[in-house]
Amino acid sequence: MSEPVSLTTDRPGQADTPKPPAPGRSRRLTDRRLAVAFIAPALLLLLAMSVFPLLWALYLSFTDYSATRGGPANFVWFGNYTAILTSAQVHLRALTTLVYVVGAVGLQTALGFTIAYLISRRTRGRGLLTTLFLVPMMLSPVVVGLFWRFMLDAQFGVVNSMLGSLGLGQVEWLTRQRTALLSLIVVDTWQWTPFIMLIALAGLTAVPKYLYEAASIDRASEWFRFRTITLPLVWPLLLIAVLFRAIEAFRLFDLVYILTSGGPGVSTETLSFHVYKVAFLGFNTGTASAYGILMVLVVIVLTQLYLRYLNKLKED
Amino acid sequence: MRHSQRIGRLSAALLLVATTVAACGGSQDDDAKASAPKAPAAIPELTKDPLTLSFIWFEWPPAQALEAFANEEYKKERPNVTVKVNTVPNANWHDAMFTQFAARKTDFDVAILDSQHIGEAVTNGNILDLTDFVKNNIDVDAYDPYLLAAYGQFPQAETGQRDENASLYGLPLLGDTWTMIYRKDLIGDKPPQTWDEMISAAEKCQADNPGVSGLAFHQANGSDAAAVTYNTVNGVYGGNLWDAKNRKIEGVLNDAAGQEAMDVLVTKMKPLTAKGSGNWFIDEVNAAVAQGKACIAFNWIAASGGLLDPKQSTLGKTREQILGKLGFATLPKQKTDLVPLGGMGMHVSAYASSANQAEALSFMKWFEQADVQKKWAAAGGVPSRKDALASPEFLNAGPFNKVYADSVPRMRDMWNVPEYARLVDIENTNVNAALNGAKSPKDALNDIAKDQQAVLDSSNRKGGGGL
Repeated sequence: MSEPVSLTTDRPGQADTPKPPAPGRSRRLTDRRLAVAFIAPALLLLLAMSVFPLLWALYLSFTDYSATRGGPANFVWFGNYTAILTSAQVHLRALTTLVYVVGAVGLQTALGFTIAYLISRRTRGRGLLTTLFLVPMMLSPVVVGLFWRFMLDAQFGVVNSMLGSLGLGQVEWLTRQRTALLSLIVVDTWQWTPFIMLIALAGLTAVPKYLYEAASIDRASEWFRFRTITLPLVWPLLLIAVLFRAIEAFRLFDLVYILTSGGPGVSTETLSFHVYKVAFLGFNTGTASAYGILMVLVVIVLTQLYLRYLNKLKED
Repeated sequence: MRHSQRIGRLSAALLLVATTVAACGGSQDDDAKASAPKAPAAIPELTKDPLTLSFIWFEWPPAQALEAFANEEYKKERPNVTVKVNTVPNANWHDAMFTQFAARKTDFDVAILDSQHIGEAVTNGNILDLTDFVKNNIDVDAYDPYLLAAYGQFPQAETGQRDENASLYGLPLLGDTWTMIYRKDLIGDKPPQTWDEMISAAEKCQADNPGVSGLAFHQANGSDAAAVTYNTVNGVYGGNLWDAKNRKIEGVLNDAAGQEAMDVLVTKMKPLTAKGSGNWFIDEVNAAVAQGKACIAFNWIAASGGLLDPKQSTLGKTREQILGKLGFATLPKQKTDLVPLGGMGMHVSAYASSANQAEALSFMKWFEQADVQKKWAAAGGVPSRKDALASPEFLNAGPFNKVYADSVPRMRDMWNVPEYARLVDIENTNVNAALNGAKSPKDALNDIAKDQQAVLDSSNRKGGGGL
């Protein structure tokens, strides 16, 4: 058996000394080259599928290129970016997206944490309950959108049917301005609350038991234990879950497409849905690329601010 | 080691540059294909090898009818050819075709385009120019000139006419228009003759029959649903969609007639529809009729066949029983007698292989023959040849076919311009907003006119196109 080889070379002041290849291996195939050979396919794939499209989109975002019209891409420099940032249409979609993200992620966090907290206090059937709660998360958003569309149908949907049997009137869930956005939030919450629950449950199970035991000896109340032990220890993990969900919610497309098509009018059109229309209805590829780049930038900036807050929280 | 790291970075950068250059390389070709390539005047020699001729359409009964019909009848002529009609959901239809056109590679040979898509496809060079082919192979006099123009001509023909000097890029596949579907057992055998009468009849029927709504029509904001509804009422009330010659929409669409049409639609018609019907399109309207939940409905003729199927209807156990309750009529008149032009034409993809393009031309020549058009009519299709339209095969195939034949001289189309997809989206979303209380009728119409005009005027704009 050969000796383990160190993969790090960061020894200051010492030149790298090439290791002799293992017995039976060509002398030219050093460990370094072998490592490069192993990494190369993944690296090439990453370059071709992620880095290149991103750079290509960045280039197109400064042009008036249209994928269907073809022809040369003429530089308009920051024309696309200025138009997007000053467009009232974009501002409207940004506001809708913001309301949606805050509403959906807020509701999911509250519900997810509550469910996780209640499950964590159970000793029997915890595994089964967790699995059952996770089912919505495993479904395709398109499938979720389709069956909620049927359930929320004003005429024959099961939701209105239940409301009717309770003596309440019919609600136009998907075709009224206020209820349509609320419906989107509810459906997204139904599907993604389990995600927050799962992360919160992991955090809750990781809280050392001796802390609670010590608190019990001190006769601390339930609320006091929750406020001073549970929440502070789970909070950083919960915030990471919120970050993931917020990014996902920010780029919501599928549920809007299936449930409301952005309607009534454009009142549930999110930024992603609007980018889709710019890209594929008019095939204004340059504008759509700039729009996409701006959305990525917004996510990056907000994530950085968020992570800084998270680090500060840890340091405190 | 540093040297090898540098080489690694350099290779990655070179790879990126090479990929970028390769991707940019297409632009020279794109320039060369700025207009539609010409199809040969005569059909080239056809292959004897097995060949699949692929169409692309949206999912609805005529798509299945076409595939079955073509494989039964065309196979008699060309046994080595199989016809495949690929379908996508209606809302994805435009995207499915034009994203492939954008890639300059299509997995279909024949695109079934809506009449309004032709401008976009021709301008981008996505479909073949069939002018010479049509001259040598198609008897154009056999057609209603407007139908031939609507499904193939670009630039767009004036309503009801055909410009014989204009180029043709497609041939008719399926004609269509709206039919009024009415409950004979609830409002009487005689259909309303004017739009005002129709609204009154629906109002009375709704009041007399609790649980049945007066009207059912397209209101969704996807595809062209709500837009066609408004355009229909606009036409009936004497409005115009635009001044095509001067490319003017603002001040034309939202003139007094246009405002009256929007008022009628939102304040008189909408209250007679079922609650929550603000996202209804073809299937939902058909479902309401089949379940006996609507007194009067409007739908495309080509999508109405299922209404007579007892398995899908609660109105009767046999076709005759259903027909005892349902009547089909041409749209009521008001200030004009205009009806919407629907239907689609066949267009050959510029990116199909030459063997498949040749086969597509052969199919089109075969399909447009008089006897084949009659068989297509009998199989559930809606032909465009005058002889087939007047034939008993067509008129007896369905109760709504006479409605189509009577509607042909009354048809009006939307705008057939490269900006169509954006124009229809603006109209759809705003009409849908007005129908669902998100905008006042006046604001919605003014917004449509302003935004559509901006789209037409923005062709020379630098940056931000499409917002």
